[in-house]
Amino acid sequence: MKRSNLMAILTDVHLWVPVVVLILGTALLMSLR
Amino acid sequence: MSHSSASASERSTLSLHKLGVFCGLAAAVWLGSAEAPTKLVNTGFSPFVISLGMVMGVFVARWTVPMLLKGTGFLFTDLRDKAHLVVWAVLAGTLWAVANTLTVFAVRNVGLAIAFPLWNTNSLVGLFWGWLLFNELRGSGVKGWLKVFGGAAAIVLGAAILTFATAHQSTNSPDKVAMGILAALGAGVLWGTMYIPYRKAYISGMNPLSFVTIFTFGELGTVFTLGAIFHGGVGNLVGELQRARPMLFWLFLGGFCWVIGDLFQQYAAKYIGIGRGIPLSNTNQLWGLAWGALVFGELSGLSPSGKILVIAGSAVMIAGAVAISMAPPPALELDNWKQAMDRECNRYGLDPQKVTAVVQGNDPLSGQPQKRRWWEVLILCSAVGVFIWLALGTKSQHIAVNTPWMLVLALATIVPLGVCGTLLWRRTRFS
Repeated sequence: MKRSNLMAILTDVHLWVPVVVLILGTALLMSLR
Repeated sequence: MSHSSASASERSTLSLHKLGVFCGLAAAVWLGSAEAPTKLVNTGFSPFVISLGMVMGVFVARWTVPMLLKGTGFLFTDLRDKAHLVVWAVLAGTLWAVANTLTVFAVRNVGLAIAFPLWNTNSLVGLFWGWLLFNELRGSGVKGWLKVFGGAAAIVLGAAILTFATAHQSTNSPDKVAMGILAALGAGVLWGTMYIPYRKAYISGMNPLSFVTIFTFGELGTVFTLGAIFHGGVGNLVGELQRARPMLFWLFLGGFCWVIGDLFQQYAAKYIGIGRGIPLSNTNQLWGLAWGALVFGELSGLSPSGKILVIAGSAVMIAGAVAISMAPPPALELDNWKQAMDRECNRYGLDPQKVTAVVQGNDPLSGQPQKRRWWEVLILCSAVGVFIWLALGTKSQHIAVNTPWMLVLALATIVPLGVCGTLLWRRTRFS
């Protein structure tokens, strides 16, 4: 993958919104164990 | 005239809105019908094992169906052209798996009656992200908003009424109830957020069939990992799976039906967006209810007031679906969709002309004949072999079914597959 594409992915809000939601959801799941 | 343009001129002129609506409704039929085989599974197994069994079936089908429809050559070319989207496909699969596991705890703590309506708000979450990130509903006017948001809200309300009428209430402690509500809401947010990768992939010109082949790795990997964590290790999980061997066929069959429904949902998300497509496919509860009530006699002990609630909930849900079906995006909203598409093209160096064609269902690649590979036969034989092997080891389940209704519903499930599959082929060649 080109470096420019990698930077485009890492600075894309479309990536970080789901990632943050996933982290919070996983934390919630682990607290339910 | 080129081969692809000649092919495009031979295609149906059905509007993409109508096609997306048909796909959303067909998705509901198949996602709802996926519950039928799982009703033949004996109780006494952990929800994680049931979930893993179904996802394993999903994994087999998610590779086989796209390969049969388009061939591995097409899928690899599509994935190579939009390689950056692999990240989002895996992410979406992971979000699905965590949300699905949260629902297990939600049902355990507060019961289905409270949990289901809460996580069913995922369509409203998806609608919000569609509006915020992909310009959906922007420029649709007050009428468009009323129809789409009102329709989506009606579907959530209808689902709440149906679940309240058919499920039992929880008697757990307040602490457990609070955590259960949080888990159900969390599942709704995770599933609603999962639609961000869907929409991103489709406005970038990715084929839904390519997307699901990668999605399934995130899905299976996460379900397996979570199952191992909650069972105290891989060995315990595998042991449970072996114990569940006699009923795995039904879970695989349910997973197969799920994949068909999911594919239609993906096409709905592609052609009418997540704001319209997801609420339509969320009417699957009606079909699950129809199988439960008519074939398995699950509502035979329901009180008259419960029956009235079921009819009312179904009517509200159908009204919501009709409202969304009658809300095609106006020209101004389509301009805003295009801006969202242009953002992806600029950001990731995609060819705007090609992406526009794909988004409109005219993928130039789909007009070209695809060479079939030898390993496709191997994949097909392996998938069929797995199903036959599982079927041979299945113990018969002594559950009473209403055969005439089963035949009617089986027909009502197969007809939308034929009709919608034909429409998709004629209009888009499955692009």
